[in-house]
Order: sequence, then C-alpha cells, then structure tokens
Amino acid sequence: MENLLANLGIGFGAIFSLDPVKLFGYTMMLPVNIVFAFIGAVIGTLIGVLPGIGPLATIAMLLPVTFALKPLAGLIMLAGIYYGAMYGGSTTSILVNLPGEVSSVVTCLDGYQMARRGRAGVALTTSALGSFVGGCFGTLLLAAFAVPLADMALQFYPPEYFSLMVLGLIGAVVLASGSLIKAIAMICLGLLMGMVGTDVNTGITRYTMGIPQLVDGIGLVSMAMGVFGFSEIISNVEKSEKRETFTNRITNLFPTKEDFKRMAMPVLRGSVMGSLFGFLPGGGAPLASFASYALEKKISKTPEAFGKGAIEGVAAPETANNAASQTAFIPLLTLGIPPNAVMAIMVGAMMIHNIQPGPEVMTVNPTLFWGVIASMWVGNLMLVILNLPLIGVWVSLLRVPYRFLYPAILTFCCIGAFTVNNDTFDVLTAAIFGFLGYVFLKFGCEGAPLLLGFVLGPMMEEYFRRSLLLSRGDFSVFFTRPVSLSLLLIAAALIVIVAVPAIKAKREETFRE
Amino acid sequence: MRIKNKRDFLAGLMFTATGIVFALIGTQYKFGSAAQMGAGYFPIVVSVVMSLLGIVISLQALTPKAEEEQVPAFYWKKLFLVLGPIVLYSVVLRWLGLILSLLLLIGLSSTASHEFGWKGTLVNAAILIVFCLAVFVWILNIYLPLWPWFIDN
Repeated sequence: MENLLANLGIGFGAIFSLDPVKLFGYTMMLPVNIVFAFIGAVIGTLIGVLPGIGPLATIAMLLPVTFALKPLAGLIMLAGIYYGAMYGGSTTSILVNLPGEVSSVVTCLDGYQMARRGRAGVALTTSALGSFVGGCFGTLLLAAFAVPLADMALQFYPPEYFSLMVLGLIGAVVLASGSLIKAIAMICLGLLMGMVGTDVNTGITRYTMGIPQLVDGIGLVSMAMGVFGFSEIISNVEKSEKRETFTNRITNLFPTKEDFKRMAMPVLRGSVMGSLFGFLPGGGAPLASFASYALEKKISKTPEAFGKGAIEGVAAPETANNAASQTAFIPLLTLGIPPNAVMAIMVGAMMIHNIQPGPEVMTVNPTLFWGVIASMWVGNLMLVILNLPLIGVWVSLLRVPYRFLYPAILTFCCIGAFTVNNDTFDVLTAAIFGFLGYVFLKFGCEGAPLLLGFVLGPMMEEYFRRSLLLSRGDFSVFFTRPVSLSLLLIAAALIVIVAVPAIKAKREETFRE
Repeated sequence: MRIKNKRDFLAGLMFTATGIVFALIGTQYKFGSAAQMGAGYFPIVVSVVMSLLGIVISLQALTPKAEEEQVPAFYWKKLFLVLGPIVLYSVVLRWLGLILSLLLLIGLSSTASHEFGWKGTLVNAAILIVFCLAVFVWILNIYLPLWPWFIDN
C-alpha cells in the first residue's frame, strides 16, 4: 500500500512537472503532460461523438505526431483518446440512437428511450458519472496489479512467453464475435505479415519482394489506417441513407435522488465487470458493456423496464466500458501483450520511442509507467468537466454531415502516414491495406485478430525459436514446464468450450443481442 | 455440388491461396531444424497452418449444415473513388506539394458520397487545408513541400 502511494507519487510528480516549451518564439514553462492529457481527452471525446471514426483509426493517425513529443506526453495523449472516446460514444447513443463507438451500442437501447422521454440530460449525466467511477476503479486496479503481475512476468522464460502469447491470441478470438476458425486464420495471416522485413536472428530479409521500404517491415500505422479507417469509409459511403440529426435542447442535467439510488449498484457492478473484461484478452470495452448490460437485465426485478428507458441500462454499460478501457492497459504494461487491437497500436507507439512493452517498463522507466497511470485519473476528471457543461458543443458536431467528415479523415490519414518515415510509400501501403480491409469486410473476416497477430508475430517467432534452442529441438518444452503447460491448457480449454455446440449457440445468441 | 456459404467458401480459398504463396516464397529461405531454426521455419509452419485452416473453412461452407450466405456486393466504383485519390496523392505529393495534392485528394474523394456537391466540397477543402497547414506545418513543424516543384519552396 505504501509502495503504491509512493509509486503514484512518482506518477503525479511526473505529470505535473513543468517543461520549457518554445511557442511563437517565446520559451514558457508549461505542464506539458497535463496539456497533452487534455488534448487527448478532447480528441477522444470528439471522435467518440462522431460515428464512423473510432479510437483505433484515430490513434493510428496521430501516432506519427507523437514522434515530436516526449514518450510520456505521447502515451498520455494516445491513452486519453482511447478512454475519451468511451465518454463521447455515449452522447451519440443517447441523443441520436446511433452508437458513436462500438462500445456504446447497448447504451442506445435505454439511453435513447430516456432521451425520448425528455430525460436526455439525466441519461448524459448518468453515463458521465458512471464513466468517471468506472475509469477511476479501473485505474486503481491497474495501479494495484501492475507490480505483482510484472514481478511474476519477470520469472518467465521463453517457453512461458510463447505460451502466454498463444493464450492471449486464442483468448482474443474466443471472446470476439464472428467465426472462430476464420479469426484464427486471420491471426495466422497477421503473423505472416509480421514476418515481412529483416529477420533479427539471421539478418536476411524476408518477403520484401525487393522493395527497399519493406526491409524494416510493413508499417503498423499504414496497416491500421487501411484496415480500420479506409475500408470503413468505403463501406459507409456505399450506403446511401441519410443520417438524422438531432436538434432538441437538453435541459435538466441533474438526476433525482431516486435516480442516484437506482444507478448506485449498477455502477458498482459495471466497474467490476468492466475491469474484468478489459483485462481479459480480446475483451476490451465493447464486450464489457454488452456483458454488464446483460447482467443488469438478468438480475433486475423489473427486466421488462429495460429497453424502455431504464437508468440501470445506461449506468452499467457506460461504467463498464470505461473501466475496461483502463484495465486493458494491465496486460500491455505488465506482460507486454496487447489484449485488443487498440492496445496493439499502443505497442507500436511505445516501440517508436524505443520502449519495449513488458515487465521491464516499470523498473527501467518508472516515471513513464506511473505517469501514464496518474494521467488517467486526471484525464477522467477532465472528461467529466469537459462533457457535461460542453454537451451543446458536442451535439452541434453531430450536425457535420458525413460527406465532409470522411474527406477530413482521409486527409489526416494521408498526412499521418507520410510523416511516419517521410515517405509516400507508407501512404500507398495504407491504400493497399484499405483494399484488403474491404475484401476482409465482404468475406466476413475481422481485422482485429490480424492486427494482434501482426504485432505479436516477430516476438512470437523469437520466443518460439529461443524455447526450442534451449530444449535442443524438443517440443515437449512447452508441456513440461508447469506455467507454460497451464497457459496452453487454458487456451485449449477456451477453444473446446466455444466449440461445444450448446455453448456455441448461446454465444451466437449473446452477440446477436 | 452447390456452395451454401459462399462467403466462407471464398474466405477459405483466400487463406489457402495466401498460405501456399507464403510457404512457396518461404522455401527460398533456410529451413533449418527445430533446434537451429532457419529464417524459413516459422513462416512455413504458420503458412501451412493457415492453408489447412482455409481448407477447413471452405469445406465447412459446403456441408449441408452450413448457413446460407452470399458475399455482399462489392461497390467497385466507391472503392475506386476513395482509394484512387489516396494513391494519386502518394504519387503527386513530391511534385505538386501539399496544398495542391490535398486539394486533389479532398476534391476527388468527396465525389464518392451520394450527397456530393462542388460548393460544399471546396469550402471543406479550404478549411481542411488551412487547418493542416496550421497544425502540421506551423505548429508541429513536419517537413512537407508546400508548392509544386517549379515554385521554389
């Protein structure tokens, strides 16, 4: 406990420190990290509110910008975008009955109904307060579990790491929606794409087709932009329905005493559920919100009220998605394994600053580690303040038509991709991945497993190779070491469970809801 | 034989074909042994696994139990109108500079929308170009040529 406080002290010290900044020719002392937490929160809310652009494409787009920043400031901003989007997404769900983010899909059900009954303000406040509680709870867990988990991971040898990655990838596809076997195939494709470039062990270049720019591998930024940004835009413009814009004034932000009473327990349960799902591989915010909505409906005394404007149906999922967006950082920062696609991009963000994600981050770079955690509290606080009084501003953003929005996204992507290496080749790569992403979309193959496989590919090969080098080519090394064996057994159990017909049907049913 | 799930069937073919290509290219690299892996070992193993998964996906799509599913229509025109300008941008950026390249990118890609109008597009392009100049060039100091090659930047 004392250690925790001391560590958080380091973190808060780091984010409140003043740095000299040269602006318009003058040098000023500014709390740069706080400023970037704020910028991240604002951008996150913005893209959260706007349907059609998610945190993944945005973080990929802004990743090159962080080159110019110190690692801490860069990571703080990117993290702020991720959890800021969770706040913003609910606004659109409640006011327009259209999810701003995937993680706010269930909020539409009751949030929009509340808005139709003139309780839009209450719904917005509920979701903001819930998000704040969930965010704080998740951050607290992150701070508390970071040290023991990292300590455990430091005991790992290559076989354990390899098995952990297998578990992480399998878990990611088991919990995600859609066909399991297609998702595993997509992981393989991601792994193979991760092989492109120079092989660290032998020094030879693989799969580069003689293109010099591919010697360093395929660009993560280009890939993420193409698969998640461009292909999404194409599929949006091919639909020709008009988006409805909502113009009602929002009055009465304050929930009644009765409302507070009704939201207290769902917020608490949402925090716990959300934290759990965020931590699990493949979980993340969308699943957390679905699960906690389902739970509330199940244990409610009045399940028939759900879908008709029940405040519990807004409070629980909105709390859960925020808690999840914080705890998703646990496996990334302690084990070096991204549990979902957004965290995979964060791996890229850390790598460009020469930080290898994993248990060493905490000991080698404590100000960075605890600074990011401390910034989450500050960021969450900013978001509550930012969201409620400024709700009118965000609503007016919803009136920006998509025909103006998507060229803007393309513009930022094209500039962003170029600045990675100051090379137009990355822009071209992004376009190619846009095409591939569109094909995947039509074939019903998901992009997230591809990205996870791509990020983990080189690491997995390295651990696989080292494990077998240690065992002199004996494959039993993965099964004779207890920790490695248990990790693989859990992975196998997950596949078996999902493959069982009864559970398969249940799983499909859950995702359909 | 009738293909029930066309979507999965084609997806399976895609995985199998890609796997075969990756495995064939992989044979150029040293395979080695489990204890002393060459550069080709891991990629070939993964390619083979992916090809097998692709075969399973395709076969499952043929079974009578498979769900009836069609591949959703490809909108090639929209695809071209969104991705084409990006490719064009990547080609002309060095020659035409940022401002004209962005104008092309925004102007051409906007035509993909069914609500397209020249007036709105030009206003949008102007706002975006000024914003990009302000943020990327003047504040973040990212180096980009602004004007075409014949004007000294």
